Amino acid sequence: MTTFVILLGPPLVGALLALAVRPYRRFVAWVNAPLSLCSLGAALVLWSHLLAGRVPTSGPGEFLRADALSTLLAFCVSVVAALAAWLGPGMSRDDGYTGAEARRFRIFANLCIFAMLFAVTSNNVGFMWIAIEATTITSALLIPLHVTKASVEASWKYILIGSVGIALAFGGTVLGYFDFVSLAGRQEAALNWTVLMASAPHLHPQVIQLAFVFILVGYGTKAGLAPMHTWLPDAHSEAPAALSAVMSGVMLAVALYAVIRWEAVVNASVGTGFTDGLYIALGVLSIGIASFSLVIQRNYKRMLAYSSIEHTGLMCVGLALGPLGVFAAMLHLINHTAAKSMMFLLSGRIRERYGAADIRHVSGLLRTMPVTGGLFAAGTLALVGLPPFGIFLSKLAMLRAGFATGHAWLMAAVLGLLAVAFVAFVGHLNRMLYGAPPDGVATGETGRWALVPLAACALALVWLGLVLPAPVETLLDRIVEITTR
Amino acid sequence: MDGVFSQLCVLGSSLVLIFGLILLWRRGVTAYISAFTWQSIVLAGVTVVVAYFGNDHELYWVAACLLLLKGLVIPRLLRRMERRFAAERELEPYVNTATSLVVSGLLVLFGYAITRPLVALSQLPTRAGMPLAMGLILVSLFVIISRKKALTQVVGFLMLENGLALLAVLGTYGIPLIVELGVFLDVLMGFLVMQIFVYQIHETFESIDVEQLNRLRH
Repeated sequence: MTTFVILLGPPLVGALLALAVRPYRRFVAWVNAPLSLCSLGAALVLWSHLLAGRVPTSGPGEFLRADALSTLLAFCVSVVAALAAWLGPGMSRDDGYTGAEARRFRIFANLCIFAMLFAVTSNNVGFMWIAIEATTITSALLIPLHVTKASVEASWKYILIGSVGIALAFGGTVLGYFDFVSLAGRQEAALNWTVLMASAPHLHPQVIQLAFVFILVGYGTKAGLAPMHTWLPDAHSEAPAALSAVMSGVMLAVALYAVIRWEAVVNASVGTGFTDGLYIALGVLSIGIASFSLVIQRNYKRMLAYSSIEHTGLMCVGLALGPLGVFAAMLHLINHTAAKSMMFLLSGRIRERYGAADIRHVSGLLRTMPVTGGLFAAGTLALVGLPPFGIFLSKLAMLRAGFATGHAWLMAAVLGLLAVAFVAFVGHLNRMLYGAPPDGVATGETGRWALVPLAACALALVWLGLVLPAPVETLLDRIVEITTR
Repeated sequence: MDGVFSQLCVLGSSLVLIFGLILLWRRGVTAYISAFTWQSIVLAGVTVVVAYFGNDHELYWVAACLLLLKGLVIPRLLRRMERRFAAERELEPYVNTATSLVVSGLLVLFGYAITRPLVALSQLPTRAGMPLAMGLILVSLFVIISRKKALTQVVGFLMLENGLALLAVLGTYGIPLIVELGVFLDVLMGFLVMQIFVYQIHETFESIDVEQLNRLRH
């Protein structure tokens, strides 16, 4: 119980504090930032429970429940939440945001993080849906933090497409509930995931399959799967950097989490063949569209956004490749969270310095901001899957899983698309790193302490590329058990 | 008794769907808002019928919330928006009226096709209305993608929500009340945020035509 309170409480306290203090004072951020570490601590405690073989639950009827999958997501969310709290608007005086903007950021970013943490620890798929819808609403309000034509457009596309997608996921939830009720009669706990799992073998196959199509299209919209991805590059590129990090780093993963929860039910009901086919179709389409869009990108934040679509697609393909594939996909999720949140926060620094989001206007990055540029290069190389970074290992594991399950052609196609993305990404990176800086761009790093957590992300990526720590391995093994039993 | 119950449900669901179709052939936002209001009232009526015949008291609360939120509060806010943007009518949607009506006819048929396993599985007397609810869901999706005014899209989204609510009440006599209340809260919040954005679009672009939202490409 206490663990869950310490996990879910801090973002709520942060939001209420920001709401209460008007006009905005900087101490709000200075309270918010250390508090975010409490959530992280609680997530680690959940992890230790898991290693000891326990599944912590809390509240009436196992209202909150943290199994391996929940723990992984809670950990990722709280890491990115901490990054956003320490590096987000409102910490220092001259970060380019007014007090009112910083206040709005602190209120809604914290609410959004609370909703994500609640979504991944709620045992009830109905509440999971409510929480994920709440993440859309709260994050949409932050996209036009600076009102421009582009940010207004991005926020409208996001709220409309996101809400429609989520509404379809609600349709899927209702259909799943319908299937259960038609079999077992009405009961209060029927929307509990554990109850659904227990009765999954008796569910009506066609109905649960229809429900899953709605779920996949619905939450898939939020996860940025093609062809429902059209809002994503706009929203992720126009949002303030700290929010982009949250959206790309974990919000996509939380939506994917919701899909996996339902996938487990469907697999227990009709076997893995049905979900595998859908995953592969949407996954390959996402990787394909993202790779070719990367080639023609002129905006580095959009480049990162398309890379998120590519990686979500990869995770989807991984989920379809048997136990090893699920293992690889989840490892990929951790790596992607670290890499992408670091990259978006770095892109915020670059944009602040150069005042432009266009790749052509950014040159000589290594000369103007050596550390930022270096980390940006490292992050890019990590994202395209070069050693010694973690993504190399997870991609390798995914390929092995693919060949082991007899998907040689699929893997060849994916590799081809990844090669396209590789060339595009490295080409853009070259243009940004080298050359002469444009006139009037100052040289030297500012706000150096902000580089420490970002460098820590890069180090974590290297670490995950060299070894697979035992706690991580145990966690991922447990997740594999959940989805493929 | 079941006969009357079943027929009332089908009648109510048909009305709910027909109010949804009004979005396809009327041009003025005023008509959309009244259509949505009446649709919500009929939906609340269907919920009361299910509550009465299905002997489920929780559903009376759901019906009351529906009436209050979607029959009263949201239409009021919509009218206030409409007074601002009254001059902006849905003059040239991406798909013209005749084609729209044909497409929505096909969508309703498709709704019947995909709900066949549902109707076959269910034992409830309300099951015959489920294909109509699915039809409304699909038609609302079509409205959202084929119309140009932000306000029309918002009404389309609200009707999509109504379709889902109808599906839930007919298929399962409603999802658990506590979850339902959370859903109502989300609908209200989502609507309020959309409202903020419509005003913001109007301020930055001086019109609520989403066709101008074309700065971000590729």
